[in-house]
Amino acid sequence: MDILTQLKKQAEQVEILNLQNEKTTIEYEANQLKNCAVAETKGTAVRVIRNGRLGFAASSDDTAMEKLAANALESAAYGDKAPFSFPEPEPAPIVRTFDKAVAELPIARLVEIGQEMLDLILPADPSARCNIILERSLISANIRNQKGLDVAFKTSPLSLGLEIDRVEGDDVLILYDQLGTTVWEKDYLAFARRLVEKLKMARIITHIKPGKMPVLFAPSGALALGLPLSEGLNGKAVYKGTSPMAGKIGEKLFDEKITIIDDGTIDGKFASASYDDEGVPHHRNVLVEKGVLKSFFYDLKTAAQSGVKSTGNAARGLFNPPEPSLTNFVIQPGQTPLKDILAGMDEGIIVEDLLGIGQGNMISGAFSNPLALAFKVEKGEIVGRVKDLSIAGNIYDLLMNVTAVSKEAQWVYNTVHAPYILISEMNVAGKS
Amino acid sequence: MRDRIQEALKRSKADYTEIRIEEKETTRVVFRGKDLEVANANIDKGGIVRSLIKNKGWGVVSFNNLDDLFTKVDQAYQCAQVGSAPEPIELASVEPVEKITTVEMKRDFRDIPLAEKKALAERYNQVVLSHSRKIVDTQAVYSDIFTHLILANSEGTYIEQEKPSVVVGTTAIARDGENVQQAHDSLATTQGYEYVLDKDELARKTAQKAVELLDAQSIKAGQYTVVADQMLAGVFIHEAFGHLSEADFVYENPKAREMMTMGRRFGKGLLNVYDDGSIPNLRGTTLYDDEGTPARRNWLIQDGELVGRLHSRQTAAKMGEKASGNARAINYRFAPIVRMTNTAIDNGATSFEDMIKDIELGVYACEAYGGQTQLENFSFSSGYAYMIRDGKIAEMVKDVILAGNLFATLENIDAIGNDFKWLNTGGGCGKGNQFPLPVGMGAPHIRIQNVVIGGK
Repeated sequence: MDILTQLKKQAEQVEILNLQNEKTTIEYEANQLKNCAVAETKGTAVRVIRNGRLGFAASSDDTAMEKLAANALESAAYGDKAPFSFPEPEPAPIVRTFDKAVAELPIARLVEIGQEMLDLILPADPSARCNIILERSLISANIRNQKGLDVAFKTSPLSLGLEIDRVEGDDVLILYDQLGTTVWEKDYLAFARRLVEKLKMARIITHIKPGKMPVLFAPSGALALGLPLSEGLNGKAVYKGTSPMAGKIGEKLFDEKITIIDDGTIDGKFASASYDDEGVPHHRNVLVEKGVLKSFFYDLKTAAQSGVKSTGNAARGLFNPPEPSLTNFVIQPGQTPLKDILAGMDEGIIVEDLLGIGQGNMISGAFSNPLALAFKVEKGEIVGRVKDLSIAGNIYDLLMNVTAVSKEAQWVYNTVHAPYILISEMNVAGKS
Repeated sequence: MRDRIQEALKRSKADYTEIRIEEKETTRVVFRGKDLEVANANIDKGGIVRSLIKNKGWGVVSFNNLDDLFTKVDQAYQCAQVGSAPEPIELASVEPVEKITTVEMKRDFRDIPLAEKKALAERYNQVVLSHSRKIVDTQAVYSDIFTHLILANSEGTYIEQEKPSVVVGTTAIARDGENVQQAHDSLATTQGYEYVLDKDELARKTAQKAVELLDAQSIKAGQYTVVADQMLAGVFIHEAFGHLSEADFVYENPKAREMMTMGRRFGKGLLNVYDDGSIPNLRGTTLYDDEGTPARRNWLIQDGELVGRLHSRQTAAKMGEKASGNARAINYRFAPIVRMTNTAIDNGATSFEDMIKDIELGVYACEAYGGQTQLENFSFSSGYAYMIRDGKIAEMVKDVILAGNLFATLENIDAIGNDFKWLNTGGGCGKGNQFPLPVGMGAPHIRIQNVVIGGK
């Protein structure tokens, strides 16, 4: 008997997730093709609510459905009170997340793309060592519940990751960038060309006197600002009372140049799909608008605990129950062209990459990180790489006064879309 | 199943093929503060095929559907075809093994209802919560895993192993105004459920430690004679030295290769270090590794000299040494890589009293709270520590971070205790993206001269 039909007789509410993933990985290590792997994952996760209590169990053994059902019921016998109901079927936006051209990309073609990256980088810098991971997956998910919800979606994520390291004497340079998409992208090497530009620019090593100066966060560096925000906007942190933004909906917390959107409905992006992992439609959620806090993001459970509706932000793996999680995190581009921002900088730095993002007491907004990659700007020109610097601050203070947000923006780390953000005065520490 | 596996291996066109099938049942209960976070059971069953074409490379296929092994073997062969090894990949020879092992637990945790496991975690959580009003947050975890593992290869090896594991652990977070301190302890066993019962004392001590730390002063930065307890000494030898002994790290890295030359002095003559996966009932024990190589004792440092390293079959062949039984994978989704099993500093001759009696001003550093190593440089935080004054243990201090160079530090070990202990904590080791792998660590107390300790 189908496990949903069976469990409906034994519990008030039932949710079944079937997940299937086929992933092919090609790995280059130190410019050499090293590994080819195929991984197929298949499994079922069950949530039940019985006598008002929530239970969870999962299995990757499709011959053990009886035991899976028994495990879920046993888990519910001792589970916490469930404050929510599984959702009714609801229409959702059409989001493009599947492309045959990606799903059927042959292994030989992945190998070739890896070689194309090497052919792009090594002539520009023969001493570079590239580690490349090319990965394409085909994911099918099906969520059903006792209310008749039955949503199925297929995604075809492709990710090209490129790490370049160059060691020369005591100077170690490590650069990383990646492309993540679920539909075929014609210019799939654009990110690698961007990295080559950085690699070349990083050849020139220059100095800057530590102290107070303008700091321009490049899209990849803006993660240092975005990550604490994404923690603070999480409905679970708000419910637990640990978010500094708890209880401040409607207040102006940031500079009016700051608008932040969570959007799971953008075609072709990694975190996009018509529905979230509980079968709730994805939305375009405006979290911060012109500096004013508009909303947090929730899954079913945290939404119910907080007395609001799920924002369609449930995410989960096979063996864990859902948790609220951002989809695509968009910091809205601003009005100022990048060249105008640079032109306005007399002496300052561009932060491309920081070490140890996400460590420390992130929820408080505080950060303190060495700079892994930063460039010096002098009289509006990028003049070279600066080393051994670190920055520290609190994003809740910094983002109250933003000098400029660039018109140009980039996708970084697959799911973050960020512009250049200029903070006109920040303390940059280092050896003088 | 055995017939199907062996038939699939026979059909393989690769130079070498191995199949690993794993069946795992997991129970996990987590309390956080006053709330139950998790109480559930998962089943994970799957397999992996790894094929080698010597002058091309490895192909790896992992899967949950075990019905069609023949296709998977063929797929792995296709994957291996993709490679272009600059020189042929050889494997060190290992005698084929046929062996089926089963375990018997006094109280098999698979027969214990979830209700009882939940009650146990709840009790330990209560012990921490009720210890003091200063305890503001807690975590109490009960987790058990029963693994049945089949390993077979095209050279005739067929091994079935059963691996049980039970862990209980508590974390206490104490707060006094802005001052927040935490402590953690856990206990792991490869034996039955009875080993994790009646551990209220472990929970109480965690809470007590976190509260005591609220009143501890930060240590004054400087150079001290440090006595490390068994836990810190064990973690130190694993993190700062053990990982450098892993041959995959050495042969990939010219700088590391130079550092790890056999016969090089690694400390005074009293220092002896080994890795041994064959000792019964330790956390890192693996009677056969994930390539079927039997576990054995591998001496790494003897009388202060580097004498050995840890290998997979591939790294052993490449370096002209013997496979050591250290090719391990965390589960069927990964190919094995070189890992430690149970790593230890061998017992010495000095009693703890003798070790501290002549120290005018020093630090007794206990437990490890995390650390980082980068080639020969390391940095570790101890969980808590005490000053040693005039040969006696004095007040508690916090924020004790030991940093230094591995070679200088090993050379500065001038006393090794006679109180060797295996540590039965529940953590795991991470390498690459494979985490957590159960490993064992052991050591007696050790004394190290001239350790730089950061702080205020």
